[in-house]
Amino acid sequence: MDIRISGVTKTFKPDITALQDVYLTVPRGDFVYLVGPTGSGKTTLMRMITREVIPSKGQVAVGESNLRTLSNLDLAFYRRDVGVVFQDFKLLSHLTVFENVAFVQEVIGIPPGEVKRRTAEVLEKLGLWRRRFLFPEQLSGGEQQRVAIARAVANSPSVLLADEPTGNLDVHTAEDIIRLLHSINASGTTMIVATHNQYIVDAFRQRVVELRRGRIVRDEKKGRYESDVDL
Amino acid sequence: MSTFRYIIRDTFRLLSRHWGLSFLTLVTAVAVFYLVGASALFVLNSKYLVATVEGSLTIQAYVEDTPEAMEAVTSRAAAFDCVSSVEPITSGQALERLRARLGNQADAVTLLGQNPLPPSVEIQVRKAAFASVVAREMISMPEVEDVVYAGELAERLESISAFVSRLSLVVLLISVTSAALVLFNTIRISVYARKEEIDTMLLVGTTQFFVSFPFVLQGVILGAVGALLSSLLLGFSYGFAVDALHRSLPFLRLISDPKLVMRLSGVLVLGGVSVGWVCSWLAVSKFVRSASRPH
Repeated sequence: MDIRISGVTKTFKPDITALQDVYLTVPRGDFVYLVGPTGSGKTTLMRMITREVIPSKGQVAVGESNLRTLSNLDLAFYRRDVGVVFQDFKLLSHLTVFENVAFVQEVIGIPPGEVKRRTAEVLEKLGLWRRRFLFPEQLSGGEQQRVAIARAVANSPSVLLADEPTGNLDVHTAEDIIRLLHSINASGTTMIVATHNQYIVDAFRQRVVELRRGRIVRDEKKGRYESDVDL
Repeated sequence: MSTFRYIIRDTFRLLSRHWGLSFLTLVTAVAVFYLVGASALFVLNSKYLVATVEGSLTIQAYVEDTPEAMEAVTSRAAAFDCVSSVEPITSGQALERLRARLGNQADAVTLLGQNPLPPSVEIQVRKAAFASVVAREMISMPEVEDVVYAGELAERLESISAFVSRLSLVVLLISVTSAALVLFNTIRISVYARKEEIDTMLLVGTTQFFVSFPFVLQGVILGAVGALLSSLLLGFSYGFAVDALHRSLPFLRLISDPKLVMRLSGVLVLGGVSVGWVCSWLAVSKFVRSASRPH
């Protein structure tokens, strides 16, 4: 699914402008690094795509869906097609690795046999099969992040959003995670990754969109973390 | 089908994960529904007692010893809607009754010589409250010489009956409100304990129905099981109370129809289900609505 953000402004009460007049189009299957300092509006932009936040002005459309006009039921169905990976993983601590990944399939009504098959497949693919009976607190940071990714891709979403997926990880683990995201993207999933990790962005040259103070200040096809020109 | 299975599984997960809270709610629900049932039985029995006494409440109107007077009073009494039966008693019949009442000492009436008992009309009213009205009407008739009835008893019974009904209604309201509040808070605590889980569920595309329904079922199960257990307790304790009262105060009859307790249990379980449903729905729907609302 392609993502179209047109003239979006978001103001939070009392008077904090998180995004201002943002235009961004992400075609289907694209891979975008969203960079910029803390507070530049990256997370707000991602949360608009999941419709946790709605714009004060402008439109966000994903595929055929205009997010502003979605009903509650349509929103549920829309979100099944958008995977999210959080910086703090948001894994459910009382569930095992297997249950965490199975859970997101169960809650949308996938039959138990299919849930087992898909979960096993995803865990195998992400190298977590041997860890399937462990609880999140028994895993390393990298493993927890992989579980979060496994959970996000378990329903085969068309769009995957990752907010600082390498935030707490060492360089090697971060590189593994990004390779994993690239392999998911290679299968046609549209990907937006918000990151502060310069090494990663520079190593895997992809489209880079830079935000500053709620505005897009750079959009480069095979960009670097830092701009070549002084912004 | 899978959705339904997951909902049932989640419901039992909810009950077992917060088992301490569930148990406490169950105990409270049992106590509260027991109180509801007991007050209902109290009302029914007091009404039954009042009705029994009212059924035997008789107005005795003594009339002049002429067939015309007897006829006039009988027809006047029968004209009241609230009168259930009218029976003219001649002097001879009154004497026969007295003999029957005296049993083996019946011969004592021969000592009276001429029959001193006056003719009368026995009037039974449907409700105690009507007794004084009918009695006043009777005494105003020139053919009636005197009227005897348990006027004070009738009025007292009526006021006790009204008071018991009002008191029981208040007890019933307080009990049901307490049950509702306890269930509401239990479900709310369960919902808040699973806040993170609910947020994640909503974010991966779970419908509000799927999120809410296990909580609603949790409330329904707690309400229904609480009401069912209280019904069993009530059945046993009521049976015991009826037996004990019958042994110590045989003249005081309580309702001993087993169908009554069965019917009351049905009403209690239905009440438990309804209260559980409404309270848990209120608790969870508000939370889920606010969690789904975009910022």
